[in-house]
Amino acid sequence: MTMTGATHTGLFYDGDQQYAESVGGFLRDGLEQGQPGLLIGSPHRLDLVRAALGSDADQVRFLDEADVYAPQWNAYRVQLDFISQQRGARARVVSEQDLASRVPAELVDYRRIEAAINVLFADTPVDVLCPYDAGALPADLLEIGLDTHGSVQGTVPVVPGPRSEDPMGLLADLAQVAPPPPGATTLDLSSPSEVALARRLVHSRGAEAGLAPDLVDDLALAVTEVLTNALIHGTPPARLHVYDDGPTWVCHVHDGGRGLADPLSGMLPPSEPADHGHGLWLARQLCTAVDVGTDATGTHVRLHAKRPA
Amino acid sequence: MTPGALPASVDLCSLEPGTHLCAFPTDEQQSAQIATTFVERALSDGDRLLYVASDEQAQAMLRSLPPHLDAAAALAAGQLQVRSFAEAYGRGPTDLGAVADGFRAAAAQTRKDGFPGLRVAAHMDELAALLGSVEETVRWERLSTDLQREIGVSSVCLYRADRLSGDAGASLAGEHAGASPERAERSLAQFLAVDEPWGLRVSGEVDLSNRDQLRRAVLSRAGVVPRLHLDLRALTFTDVGSLSALRATAASLPADGWLLLDGASNAVRRTLEICDLGHERMRVQP
Repeated sequence: MTMTGATHTGLFYDGDQQYAESVGGFLRDGLEQGQPGLLIGSPHRLDLVRAALGSDADQVRFLDEADVYAPQWNAYRVQLDFISQQRGARARVVSEQDLASRVPAELVDYRRIEAAINVLFADTPVDVLCPYDAGALPADLLEIGLDTHGSVQGTVPVVPGPRSEDPMGLLADLAQVAPPPPGATTLDLSSPSEVALARRLVHSRGAEAGLAPDLVDDLALAVTEVLTNALIHGTPPARLHVYDDGPTWVCHVHDGGRGLADPLSGMLPPSEPADHGHGLWLARQLCTAVDVGTDATGTHVRLHAKRPA
Repeated sequence: MTPGALPASVDLCSLEPGTHLCAFPTDEQQSAQIATTFVERALSDGDRLLYVASDEQAQAMLRSLPPHLDAAAALAAGQLQVRSFAEAYGRGPTDLGAVADGFRAAAAQTRKDGFPGLRVAAHMDELAALLGSVEETVRWERLSTDLQREIGVSSVCLYRADRLSGDAGASLAGEHAGASPERAERSLAQFLAVDEPWGLRVSGEVDLSNRDQLRRAVLSRAGVVPRLHLDLRALTFTDVGSLSALRATAASLPADGWLLLDGASNAVRRTLEICDLGHERMRVQP
């Protein structure tokens, strides 16, 4: 068998039976070739595939999407870890989250993940299958699946409009900067000793926004990491704006440099445990969603935290 | 001395090692306050602090040290040392060269004992009597400035303003880099030496602003015994770069060395996991 890079396939299914047959078949094919499988989905979907695989189900790892996709960049890390545990042997990954329940900022980030996987996994020995519920999802969510996969199968929906193929072009489109709104609270930082003040601001305003204390702690850490990057690698002044943005509360870090112009910045963990390079990687593991973009005024990183409903 | 002659207060947060400061308190209460502020900062930063004072002055300072610095523990670990004026400067006709050698030896011993630096707070009112004149005192202070820069020891020399005559205060002030403040903001983190088990108690918040202090405190302890117990139970925040610095320190230890992160919070353990900062010589326990 020849080792090649990743395949990234969109599976459009309609109903339980098609899901169980397609996903079960995909994982069984892998097992027959000695390729371990990972399945992430709702408990109901996991049960369908367990039943379809019968005794072979023992050889597949099953994970509940509600745990793995909190936040969704964690699901990406779980997949990376699973792949690296195979030590170069080819693996199969099936992963689906409850897209209909996601807030807009998460859906933008989900588009980014789906586009980036084509580049990040290019040389990785893995076959990734992304199921989309063609029978239930609205057209704009099905469109994500159509736009970001090298191949599609199943009950492929027909959604009008041009299809984008180039992942880097998609990522560039998704790096548009949203400026802070007029009512934002702003803190200017000029020295490392002021990062502690930024944490105080996140704590006081985050609590007012109704976020749980644990979530505020995570956000304070993420803000610290992004501000630290801005102070070390960026161009002064570094600024923190905090504000509401629909269903999320946003900590928006801005500096005058163009340090994160590469849309893939921080999407892979640093290969060496060096002093830097972990900031954005960690922030994505802590926040609901992370927007990164550059414009004429510099670099913007928007850290989203979902507010309680 | 006239108020106009008072030198400007310095910021203890950004004190360069080897800085020679003065203070001219007008009563014992103010004197104790200035000394305590200087001591607090030195201990927080992980340095050894030598306090040259009378028994009464030492008791007053120890009483005013904030509880999180645990004066008794600092004395037990040798991070805080108290000496009488006679022990530090001698009793009889004084050989200034011998006093200078004494400070050099104390600075060297500080590093051997596992501290990154030495700072001194000294009540100097008896010095003029010992040396015979204010002029000799001024001369000693001038020598001290060079000596302290050479050996990297910062100090505050406390002179009671109401016991100085004429322009003595202005002459003495002129031999110092600035005045030590009466009060200062509490430091973001505290790096306190612990003897048993050998290591360091880290409390507060560690980030880009004080990461280097953490590193130098850990390295100083590891230079004596490379098996270090870091008590992190009172550490309320730490960023990735600081944990990465700890990992780098653990990786630099000899084969029989280790760094134990004791009382590591969920947040610390999760950051280590997410960023894959584990190392065989860095042990982590809740």
